[in-house]
Amino acid sequence: MKRGFWRKSYLALILAVMYIPIVLVIMYSFNGSRLSSVWKGFTLRWYAELFRDKSMFGALRNSLVLAFSASFFAGITGTLGAVGGAGRRAGLAGGVMEYLAILPIMVPEIILGMVFLAYFALLRLSPGMLTLIIAHTAFCVPYVYLVVKGRLAGMDKSCVEAARNLGASQWRAFFDITLPLILPGVVSGMLLSFAMSFDDVIISVFVAGPQTNTLPIRIYSQLKTGVSPKTNALCTLLFASAVFLCILSSYLAGFGPKKRKEK
Amino acid sequence: MKNLLALALALLVLAGCGKTGKPAENSGQLTLFTWADMFPQEILDGFESETGITINYVNFDYNETMLTRLETSGGYDLVIADDYIIKTVVEQGLAAKLDKGRLSNYGNINPLYQKQFYDPLDEYTVPYGAGVQTIVYDPEKIKKDIAGYGDLWDPSLENRLGIIENYRVVNGMALKVLGKSYNTENLDDIRAAGERLLALAPNIRLIRDNKLEDELVSGEIDAAVMYTSQVTAALLEKPDFRAVFPAEGIGFGIMAFFVPSSSSNAEAAHAFIDYVLDARRGAACFEFLGYYSTYSASDPLISGEYQRFLTLPGNFSPGMEMIQPIGEEAEQEHNRVWTAFKEEAGR
Repeated sequence: MKRGFWRKSYLALILAVMYIPIVLVIMYSFNGSRLSSVWKGFTLRWYAELFRDKSMFGALRNSLVLAFSASFFAGITGTLGAVGGAGRRAGLAGGVMEYLAILPIMVPEIILGMVFLAYFALLRLSPGMLTLIIAHTAFCVPYVYLVVKGRLAGMDKSCVEAARNLGASQWRAFFDITLPLILPGVVSGMLLSFAMSFDDVIISVFVAGPQTNTLPIRIYSQLKTGVSPKTNALCTLLFASAVFLCILSSYLAGFGPKKRKEK
Repeated sequence: MKNLLALALALLVLAGCGKTGKPAENSGQLTLFTWADMFPQEILDGFESETGITINYVNFDYNETMLTRLETSGGYDLVIADDYIIKTVVEQGLAAKLDKGRLSNYGNINPLYQKQFYDPLDEYTVPYGAGVQTIVYDPEKIKKDIAGYGDLWDPSLENRLGIIENYRVVNGMALKVLGKSYNTENLDDIRAAGERLLALAPNIRLIRDNKLEDELVSGEIDAAVMYTSQVTAALLEKPDFRAVFPAEGIGFGIMAFFVPSSSSNAEAAHAFIDYVLDARRGAACFEFLGYYSTYSASDPLISGEYQRFLTLPGNFSPGMEMIQPIGEEAEQEHNRVWTAFKEEAGR
């Protein structure tokens, strides 16, 4: 009885700490006052203002394009790196390679941002979506690399060997055996990358150009004039779509394995 | 595998070229570079529909970021930033001279905000909103009349005061109490101000920029030294709060438009400045922004409830001083003083 009480209150505390801020953000998106310390009745005014704000949606679009591209390219690069690296013996060179691959998440972001700025200036690349995608891909690769590497370590190598033994080419063995086995790792690495890219402001501020405002930059720059409840409204919508996607994915996942069993 | 990698790289480059290889040569686009939410949506929409020019509104977080971007790339047509950074921008030749012939409403500007240190001849800038550090307090809770910075040291205010996180402003309060300039480069004066500040520390409850007005409105703190936009927000919510220009003299900050020398559409930039300089539209902008109106012609058009905190009082005597960039040694001393003060206030 007593144990049950402690368990429940512990759980309640954790949930409260995690979700109360989100609930507050959602609540204040309907607040009649600009200030968040006073409640002045229910309003949809901030949503109306949000939908008229073209620059907000322009920034949202840029951020989505950027996060999709960066996680896609990081998915390919990180997977190739992990698969390629797994075949080699862990000598000195292998160790160095490994450190090089995960360096971008060890270096402070602000330094990475400055380095990219200098690098792109040297290459005479004008800052814009291309520079954003390159920079974001670079710092996203380690996430995919690490997750896929962990997945590979737990994989039974004899499956690939058997396939090769039976005459499958290296490509065929990769696509038919390795890839399906590591796919959950690839996908979760890419999702992590997506989240990292979508909320990055420090690196983006250095490499964004005159045509590519991103959402985090825009929200961050509101600190000058005060964050308006319009931002709360946007956060609420983004949160709602995230919840929707989660539900959708677990719904789809529920169907996936069943079908396979029928086969 | 190598093929795949090469393919991915090729795709990356191709995808990039399609989007950024060709900078927008669209003569109908104005790239406006400033903080978010500087204009009401009506003004942006109105400008677009009246001129046919599309506004590409992009943001920076800090003035220094803006400077770095102007140094490393072009593509920005019009910038609004703070006074001190504009001085650097002008010194580095990154700003273009304004063509006042294209600004039919130029005469609307309040001369009080012109010929400032960052643009002594008014060649490069048009002011857009001014901020004053103001003391705001709740007279219900604080019985003592607060008239200036000096009163903030009163022991009755123990642990009840909130201040903005700007060391030049806060150290400047102590400098002003000692009768010195905000911009003194005399290290002894700055040190003396630091000593004085340590005595203020017990009264400090909060040091922060973001949402300080919320804390005042909710009663978490009873008095605050804030920026103008925060003062506006607080007074709109609680009209009974008292706002005081410190008797020791006030420090102004001005935001201003300038056209970068790399602008590819200076014409649109001038059109936009002139559009905002219009008396009625200017008034709408300042009401939205919550900063002091910098256009005399707009002052009488600002609606009643905003009138008292967005325009300067008629009897205003310009005992004002702008906070300007200072030498490196003085800057370092300020930083030392500030760190010591924050440590003491954190106790």
